[in-house]
Amino acid sequence: MLRKVILAIIAAVPLLAVYLFAQGLDFSGRTNQPAGVDISGTWYPQPGQDSGLITASGALIEYGGIPLNEAGRLYALAWSPSRIQGRQHQCMGYVPPYAYNQPGNLRFWEERDPHTQQLLALKHYWQISEGTRTIWMDGRPHPPAYAQHTWSGFSTGRYEGNTLTVYTTHLKRGWIRANGMPQSDEATVVEHFIRHGDRITYLSVVNDPVYLAEPFSRTYTLGRNVKEPDAWLYACDDGEQILGRREDQVESYFWGRHPFLREFADSKHIPLLATLGGPETMYPELIDKVSDAAAAEAPARAELMPSSGPPHASRAADPDPHDGEVHVLPAQGNLYMLVGDGGNIAVQIGDQGAMVVNAGAGQISDKVVAAIQKLTEKPVQFIVNTSFHSDFTGGNVKLRAAGFDPSVVGSFFSGQFADAGKGATIIGHQNVQNRLTAMKAPSEGWPSDTYLQARRRKFHNGEAVETFHQPNAISDGDSIVHFRRSDVIVTGDIFTTTSYPRIDVKVGGSIQGEIQALNNILEKTVYKHDEEDGTMIIPGHGRLCDEWEVAEYRDMVVIIRDRVQDLIRNGATLEKVKAARVTADFDDRYGANSGSWTTDLFVEAVYTSLKEPPKAANAN
Amino acid sequence: MRSTRLAATLAFMIAGTTYGQGRGGPPQPSATAKAAALYDITGYWVSIVTEDWRFRMITPPKGDYTGIMLNSDGRKIADSWDPAKDEAAGEQCKSYGAPGIMRVPGRVHITWQDDQTLKIEADAGQQTRVLHFDATESGAGSWQGYSKALWEMVPVGRGVTPVGSLKVITTKLRPGYLRKNGVLYSANATLTEYIDRVNEPNGDAYLAITTTVEDPTYLAQPFLTASHYKKQPDNSGWKPRPCSAR
Repeated sequence: MLRKVILAIIAAVPLLAVYLFAQGLDFSGRTNQPAGVDISGTWYPQPGQDSGLITASGALIEYGGIPLNEAGRLYALAWSPSRIQGRQHQCMGYVPPYAYNQPGNLRFWEERDPHTQQLLALKHYWQISEGTRTIWMDGRPHPPAYAQHTWSGFSTGRYEGNTLTVYTTHLKRGWIRANGMPQSDEATVVEHFIRHGDRITYLSVVNDPVYLAEPFSRTYTLGRNVKEPDAWLYACDDGEQILGRREDQVESYFWGRHPFLREFADSKHIPLLATLGGPETMYPELIDKVSDAAAAEAPARAELMPSSGPPHASRAADPDPHDGEVHVLPAQGNLYMLVGDGGNIAVQIGDQGAMVVNAGAGQISDKVVAAIQKLTEKPVQFIVNTSFHSDFTGGNVKLRAAGFDPSVVGSFFSGQFADAGKGATIIGHQNVQNRLTAMKAPSEGWPSDTYLQARRRKFHNGEAVETFHQPNAISDGDSIVHFRRSDVIVTGDIFTTTSYPRIDVKVGGSIQGEIQALNNILEKTVYKHDEEDGTMIIPGHGRLCDEWEVAEYRDMVVIIRDRVQDLIRNGATLEKVKAARVTADFDDRYGANSGSWTTDLFVEAVYTSLKEPPKAANAN
Repeated sequence: MRSTRLAATLAFMIAGTTYGQGRGGPPQPSATAKAAALYDITGYWVSIVTEDWRFRMITPPKGDYTGIMLNSDGRKIADSWDPAKDEAAGEQCKSYGAPGIMRVPGRVHITWQDDQTLKIEADAGQQTRVLHFDATESGAGSWQGYSKALWEMVPVGRGVTPVGSLKVITTKLRPGYLRKNGVLYSANATLTEYIDRVNEPNGDAYLAITTTVEDPTYLAQPFLTASHYKKQPDNSGWKPRPCSAR
């Protein structure tokens, strides 16, 4: 009997196999990919090509073949390797495709639905920077523009022929090459993994509206490891590499004064023009263009400084959908970020009433209230204003009216204020109240609970909440709010991802105070791994961030300050400073030539506050 | 019971293996290479020189063979490179042979010469490569050697559009340079290439060319590279120019 059963099975199974195959099914359960392009396993970067660039950098002023635009070239020309020694740069992660130009091992594996065996994602780990990556294969959409950016970004993939094609958004600012050539946080990447047996050809195309004039395409090859390698870790922990460096010191080169400008060109017998990059250096026509080295010198010199003309406007996408709706994004722990009504709104929930940091512009406050009510059944108890600006206080009246602060009902406050407990309590620095009063803003929207000292503390919804006054940053009344257990810092407009800092000199703002405030934020942040996650940052405007973006922003404003200061020392007038385009490497990311906050206004604020530093913030 | 399971497993494996052999391999003999093409690589393409830029765009100095695993004989020859001698010998095209030509900055024009033959014309050095899908190897050594081509298929399920790559193996090469600065390959060299086409969301298309040069005479290890071309709408920029030894 047993023998008959075995024979029957032997006869039936091939038929079943043929049937399954005719249905387009693979025996391994892979139902949505052609067999043979599976890249699971461990791989290593094959030696040979670009071997002088592996692990990262290449030489300074080695930009040939990279289609940098003016902003990208100027960024690289200003970059000093000493910046790597800054605390927030030592453990910088790697973005694709740069992450594949490194000497460590790589591992790919599949993640499948345990019930259906459908392919959900390809997971990826690279040794260098211990980077992890998920390539979603289940057709899910990319997150909204106001979501966090990471080193690996958000990737979706699909199989095309024998090729795995991956599309990535939400990347942090990283490197095209770590000799100063930047890849902006606006870059998107298309990657093609083409497998030929034990070799993968990797072709990537970077589209970066901020720093590239054309798509940057390149190839690279990976080889399959014959045996499982034992080298997988690459721990990084930042330390004090240079003692005594000031907090507001960010190393950079002034344009036209790079000490190693010709080192690479001269050592490799390459005309300087060719080493400066740009789209023309990718194409065969370059050979004729630089065949006369003497003739190529003048155009090379012209590329070392910003071109004349007005500042460039930002090419970055606005992360605010501007669709008249309020969008809710979980930030971390008890904190949520609400986007859509002017400045970002932070909402902390818990077993007590909601604590809201900033109230938005007040254009769609009803929708803000409704969004908060979906997060918690408790009323808004506290509203903290990080600034008096209308993008943060415009919604004070309506949010206050929709809230309730039980802590003042029946307390001695109720004898002092007729409206005690009738709404949420608004908290802010005394100068916020002063400014709102002076502006004749509705008194129902003024902070009634004000502070004068540097630190205001509170324990609410199960965590410590610290509010720190930041004197003379954007204005004289700015604060940051740190939710300690959730580990989220709400910065107001001291930090944004959408514009240069809106320093308002007339109300006590200054570039030096702004830098100090950014450094104060960085004093409180930690990263979870390689400058990613850990303390989360809700900016005044723009997307959810972590400390990396704050550090980058701090670096930018320090570098611009230093350029303006250098020009002032050399007797430059404001008009000359503006004409020098001291922000040229950042304008394509943050610049504006119209609207309420232009690049010229920012440069003027820097110039003015350096020429006439404000007196210490004074709450009279 | 255990033996029943074992038998079933064995049968399943045998079925899979047998069937798997039938779904891969070259296309049916009756189909021409042109008809069986997995993708279209014809047209004008321009090299995007973003890999090994400093070795390809500008002739590197003598002795700079970074990234190429030469053996001692190979190094000795590379160290004695003299472009004037090549010019005097009429051998300016040494770096335009098949192992090097696809990395020379320039444009290529790819056409079907006939149903079984692809032709790649390069404006750099005015070279022409012929890729034979039939197997009639012949001819003496030349800069471009003799190239056999096939559509190398990847196993996929029945009813699924075939996928794979264009694979080209080139032998019968006249000794030439992997790099313009005298990094030599010998007549024993074998060049293996995969030529793949990928398409971008914005309409751009690229050819990815993955190469392996094996040369027991001068290389201690195979020389592995990849390079790529971007599709051009027409012959704009096509600029035939003679070989140059410098």
